[in-house]
Amino acid sequence: MLSALIWLPVIGAALVGFLPGNISASRARIGAIAISGVLLLWTIYLLTQFNLVTPGLQMQEYLPWIQTLGLNYSLGVDGLSLPLVALTNLLTLVVIFSSDLQAPKSAPLKRPRLFYSLVLLISGGMAGALLAQNLLLFFLFYEVELIPFYLMISIWGSEKRDYAAIKFLLYTAVSGILILAAFLAINWLTNASSFDYAAISTQGLSQRTQLILLTLMIVGFGIKIPLVPLHTWLPDAYVEASTPTAILLGGVLAKLGTYGLVRFCLGLFPETWSLVTPGLSIVAAVSVLYGTLAALAQKDIKRMVAYSSIGHMGYVLLGTIALTPLALVGAVSQMVSHGLILALLFYLVGVIETKVGTRDLDVLNGLLNPIRGLPTISALLILAGMGSAGIPGMAGFISEFLVFQGSFAAFPVPTLLCVVGTALTAVYFVILLNRTCFGKLDNKTAYYPKVTGLEQLPAIALTGLIIWLGVQPSWLVRWSESTTTALVAATPVYEARQLAMSPIVPLSEVSSHPTISNPSIH
Amino acid sequence: MNVTANRTKLPPSQHKFADIIHRLEAGGAMLPDTPENLMQIIGLYKAYAVPMDFYWRDLLYIGEQVFLNPFPFFKYFISDEYMDRHNHYAGDDADLRVWRGQADAHPELREFMDKGELKMKLPRLAHHLWHDRINMEFAEECMRAMLWHRGMYVPVNQFDPFLDSDEYKANADRAIKAYFKGNPAMLALHKAFPDLFLEQCRQSSYYANLGLFWEVMAPVFFEMSDLYDEGKMTSVPQAMDFLVNGIFAIAGRPIYHHVYIQGECYEIIPKSKGFTWLYEAALPYVEAVFYRTAPFRGTKSYNAQAGQVPSEQKDFHYGVLYADKFPVGTAGIPPTLLAQDMLHFLPQYLVDYYREHCRGEDDMLIQLIVSFQRSMYCVTSAVIQALRSALLYPLDDPNPNHLKANRAFFESQIDRFLRPESRILDIQTPDYR
Repeated sequence: MLSALIWLPVIGAALVGFLPGNISASRARIGAIAISGVLLLWTIYLLTQFNLVTPGLQMQEYLPWIQTLGLNYSLGVDGLSLPLVALTNLLTLVVIFSSDLQAPKSAPLKRPRLFYSLVLLISGGMAGALLAQNLLLFFLFYEVELIPFYLMISIWGSEKRDYAAIKFLLYTAVSGILILAAFLAINWLTNASSFDYAAISTQGLSQRTQLILLTLMIVGFGIKIPLVPLHTWLPDAYVEASTPTAILLGGVLAKLGTYGLVRFCLGLFPETWSLVTPGLSIVAAVSVLYGTLAALAQKDIKRMVAYSSIGHMGYVLLGTIALTPLALVGAVSQMVSHGLILALLFYLVGVIETKVGTRDLDVLNGLLNPIRGLPTISALLILAGMGSAGIPGMAGFISEFLVFQGSFAAFPVPTLLCVVGTALTAVYFVILLNRTCFGKLDNKTAYYPKVTGLEQLPAIALTGLIIWLGVQPSWLVRWSESTTTALVAATPVYEARQLAMSPIVPLSEVSSHPTISNPSIH
Repeated sequence: MNVTANRTKLPPSQHKFADIIHRLEAGGAMLPDTPENLMQIIGLYKAYAVPMDFYWRDLLYIGEQVFLNPFPFFKYFISDEYMDRHNHYAGDDADLRVWRGQADAHPELREFMDKGELKMKLPRLAHHLWHDRINMEFAEECMRAMLWHRGMYVPVNQFDPFLDSDEYKANADRAIKAYFKGNPAMLALHKAFPDLFLEQCRQSSYYANLGLFWEVMAPVFFEMSDLYDEGKMTSVPQAMDFLVNGIFAIAGRPIYHHVYIQGECYEIIPKSKGFTWLYEAALPYVEAVFYRTAPFRGTKSYNAQAGQVPSEQKDFHYGVLYADKFPVGTAGIPPTLLAQDMLHFLPQYLVDYYREHCRGEDDMLIQLIVSFQRSMYCVTSAVIQALRSALLYPLDDPNPNHLKANRAFFESQIDRFLRPESRILDIQTPDYR
């Protein structure tokens, strides 16, 4: 069942890219839409088959591969990976559907077949990395992602695309090397029989060794997320990339970093993870404040959105390190809602850039004008800005609230700083919206082409989903609740807290009945 | 008026808009002479004339019948008498037949008033509340601009000073007392605040003034449209000349204010005062509506304390010739409601033309506002040429000093468009839509 999520897009990529001799761009697009549509439907089917109360892996698949290396084709899905798989497949469809819509007729999407192939490869690679239950298999997919992303930035990017693509490649290659080094070391030092997650136990390693390995992975995944100060590749890559690439980079690829933090750093080193969390809480607060303040200073709306992404990934980190079930479920929810909201923001910014021809805050004005502006796009941009700023009623609020609620007890000061970051998010979005949407259109320049219904459709769908998950948050958190609770329950900090709270209850009972006490998320 | 062989030549003008000055000196308009411009302005005159046929009737109805009604809920529901009222410049019994068409309300206007945009015969109140109607608010805003910018063209314009004269006050007082006869509350109010109803009366006089002005303009525009359709009007200067000739032909039309109270006519401003169409209505109208109007706080905020609004009303520049082309929801200028009105009566050739440009059907309102601006630049050109003709010298005058005087006049007129908000440069190109 899970293999389909990996191999269908890969086969689809090969079909779109190579098989037929001479198919037109529109046919290739329809084919790619069909494949990603089937993928999304398949994901929805998996969601219906997913057992919400089981914290462990489900729908597992196992095939011995190169056993001498310890590499097995081992797949499984749990509450951590399932929402991200769904997000990936949704955004893949959005990207493919919208890829050739916005391009003016005079400048259609160049090399469409290569483009669709790469997007499908990214989808397959993401699914592989999220579903892999073997460290080497994960690493393979993790690295496979780099090539299509590098090509997408360097082929379809804007002016400084070569610089941005190389910078992205270098950073993420370093990330890969660090992670590979950590994985190999884990395998060798623990004398595990294979790289399968189940076969690895880090209990026997000294704390110092664990700390070194954990640091390697934190830096490796920190580059991917990215965390300040490892973030400098991001603004260039996001801004220079075309809209579809930016959506995939921010909405999909960045999630591999946070996924890795939870799956490997927290999952493999639960004890040592507790040691580094105070330091990481400072990194989280710095990321949030840096991203927010940097966004405040931008004149380019795409760059503004790119910096906002750094800030928002800081919340995920905060939720990951607080080690409470509430915060961790908030972190997973934040990965999803950030993916949706960022994709929406990039999409809308892309439409504005295509129609208006600029992203400059000093030039943009009055786009809400009902006749000559882009009223629907502006209205959706306002909603997206509200979502990103964590306004209640939208998915962003739910996840941020869960993170803050769950983290405050553990890290009060960093949490408060992150709350300040949320408030500042509202500030820069008000600036963005005020300059872009409100005010007066310029008589001399406002001859923008209109936005068609098909162009509005992806944005409307994403907005609808963001609002729906905001008013019905159980659909956002239910998938990951059991898994995240179990993950947190395995950490010594959580056990100690439980003991302190109810000393007469045996430890075994505490960890076997993990629940989230906040009724608001049910 | 076209001057093809101008014997005496002046050196080229050094004005920033020298090309436009030279065009005016050659008998042209501020608007370049292109078939596209001609089509736009004539089409717009026609689309403007139909609602204008309602505006002037209703303005006179309000000035003459509604008068001081404190609750004028039905002031836009004019009587059949006013719909059938004969225009003095159209029809068989015209004083001066400008338009060859009929004297009572235009058939397109009647049809629209019956069925509206919905194309359904509903009670008039339903159409009104659904806003499926002629937007009289635009006409009232123009009237209010004239009332508010008082003292324009004095002493040439005698109408405005007359509103402050004892004679006017006495006439108004008589009418006010007659109107509120048997209503002690209102009479007491009048006694306590004598200026209250007097000011309302002045406004009412401006209703009549603008109504009488537009009574002339509607047939002028209809006739221009017909001539264009017949292929007899083929250039922008021809259109402007038609307007100039019309201005002179009708210049002496009396401007007055009569009020009908219980069947009796009260002459608040009698015809015998000798107020005329050109000096007491046309010039103040052009000045108030084309140049000045008022800063509207729609989508653009003005900071008066920062000097963004001139301290002197005469320096205002928010009129049609400077206005934003985007409808901003105002009743007056920028002409949101007028644009809505004109949209209903566009000739087919203009609809087809708009469909081919910009967003076609979706932004026709803006495209027609731009055409409206072009057509009003043509009207203003006619006024400038008419004033030059009345006050100065012919364009083909052999005396260079006279030509210099003409040039100085043109330059002083065009100086008013040196402001950055002016659209004069925009209308020089076909790309401004």
